[in-house]
Amino acid sequence: MTARDVAIRLALYALLAAVTFLVCFPLIWAFFTSMKPKDEIFLWPPTLWPNTWTLENYRALLVGRDAYFQAGANNNAAPPPSAFFLDWFWNSVIVTIGTTVITTIVSTLAAYSLTRFSFPGQRAVPYLALVGYMVPSIIFVFPMFLVMVDLRLTDTLLSLVFGYVCITLPFSMWLMWAFFRGVPIEIEEAALVDGASRLRVFWEIVLPTAWPGIVAAAIFTVIVSWNDYLFGRVFMNSMENLPLTVGVMHFFDGTHVDWGLMMASSVLMTMPMAILFMALQRHLVAGFGAGAVKG
Amino acid sequence: MDDALGMAQDSSGPPARSRRFSLSDRQVGILFMLPFIITAAAFMVWPVIEAVRMAFYAYNPLRPDDIHWVGLENFERIFDDPLFWESFHQALIWTGWSIFFQTVLGVGLAMLLNMTLPGMAVFRGLLLFPYIVPTVVIALNWRWIFNSEIGIVNHALLQLGIIDQNIAWLSTPDMAMASAILLNVWKYTPFVIICVLARLQTIPTELYDAAKVDGAHSWRRFIDITLPMLKEVLVVVIVFRTIWTFNKFEEIYLLTRGGPGTSTFNLAVYAFEEGMANLRLGVAAATGVVMIALLLVGTVIYVRVSGFGREEKSA
Repeated sequence: MTARDVAIRLALYALLAAVTFLVCFPLIWAFFTSMKPKDEIFLWPPTLWPNTWTLENYRALLVGRDAYFQAGANNNAAPPPSAFFLDWFWNSVIVTIGTTVITTIVSTLAAYSLTRFSFPGQRAVPYLALVGYMVPSIIFVFPMFLVMVDLRLTDTLLSLVFGYVCITLPFSMWLMWAFFRGVPIEIEEAALVDGASRLRVFWEIVLPTAWPGIVAAAIFTVIVSWNDYLFGRVFMNSMENLPLTVGVMHFFDGTHVDWGLMMASSVLMTMPMAILFMALQRHLVAGFGAGAVKG
Repeated sequence: MDDALGMAQDSSGPPARSRRFSLSDRQVGILFMLPFIITAAAFMVWPVIEAVRMAFYAYNPLRPDDIHWVGLENFERIFDDPLFWESFHQALIWTGWSIFFQTVLGVGLAMLLNMTLPGMAVFRGLLLFPYIVPTVVIALNWRWIFNSEIGIVNHALLQLGIIDQNIAWLSTPDMAMASAILLNVWKYTPFVIICVLARLQTIPTELYDAAKVDGAHSWRRFIDITLPMLKEVLVVVIVFRTIWTFNKFEEIYLLTRGGPGTSTFNLAVYAFEEGMANLRLGVAAATGVVMIALLLVGTVIYVRVSGFGREEKSA
């Protein structure tokens, strides 16, 4: 390697490091802010590295409710939004899991059916999925809300699950469809010739082969359901029923904005996605490769 | 092997009872399709039909008994509303700049990431990360780092001498739009990177070697080899991103609530405000119908350029 090559290489690394720093900075800054005590957050000029490290913001979120009730809940003041943080967190977890299970099962079955069988109207299904995939949530949300009113489901977690299934199903289905088209049919045919039943072939041959595609589809469903704000905003009323995304926006309600709480919630909210991302990054990229991503 | 033999024996003499219950291929196909059809009918087709139907009614959700047919009045109303046209115009600005920066940065970074250097996998992972960060989190972080009084961005720019007084990023119209576009670029450039990177990795290196032998400089190699190879994937990515960005709601609303004033409204925010704040679901639905019409045009373009469904016919 010549001196020129080394110089180019170093320059490239410097460029990459600079870009990566810019990309990661908002989250790094959120983390530092969340670890500062309240008075330090409002210092100007801001301290880059926290002078004092504290967990008080996280404590307020995670045990806020207990603290409120211990302080005497029979006073008339409404509990602060932070008292509901754990409720919101679990709501989001439950809704995300529910949505992912339903969407993944329904789309896997449908996509398999679409690539392996023929039936009337089959051609129309991918186009239906494509249109569903393009239509933004803002168009679905009000009519979905009226459907939920008819079904008497407003302000329930189930309404959110249905809402998210509606926005995740088309692209999950499309991703699985792209995936199953790439799985060779010969092995299945061989097993069928050997006399295995369709269901048995599906269970023992197709599912294990399709596993990476299923995982990719499930990750995208998790991301969309965990990140959505609009449906939660329109469907839900009670503080304790909100998903995390809608809940934390209530931190802006008062006149005084508590940035420490806000940044601690950002960190806690990103954490599950970050863990998922690190564990399953390979599958995520495979999903992008299949050409189906909602965003 | 034993298993396969076992299956063969099963099929040679299935008992009459199981034959009666065994399903034909078509039946299994429809059975597998059924959950999708039911879910799609209940939660996709029905709401879309409702969305279109509502556009012809006056409907206030607080007075559910007073729904009446108004014909095209909702459409006349939005087409006469200066705010609708302002939102439309701002949506075009928001979409145009977002797509421009996403594409340029996306292609540039994908080419950087495509080089074989030690440790590249780490950079690849980190640069894809924004895609999974919840929009609410980014909006909160943006509001914090772009805070006009104690935000770190103003501090850094002051220190570097680029500005001499704090900028009110989110409360002046142009800056608010610029911040929203920056947020969008930050979050969705990874999408472009991944799509472009996947294509770059399939370009045979022999092409570049041959060009090098012919004495082509790196810029010429980019123009003559890389860009033509990327054309197809770029067209698809741009059409996709245009459709989605045009209709984005959360990225704008959570950052600026459409403000200051109405300076960052796009059609999605307009529809939301009509439905949620003004309780005119009919008007919101009419706006939605306009958005559906626009995105159908986009979808047709997508189907044309991507050859969507073509593989299916040949299969």
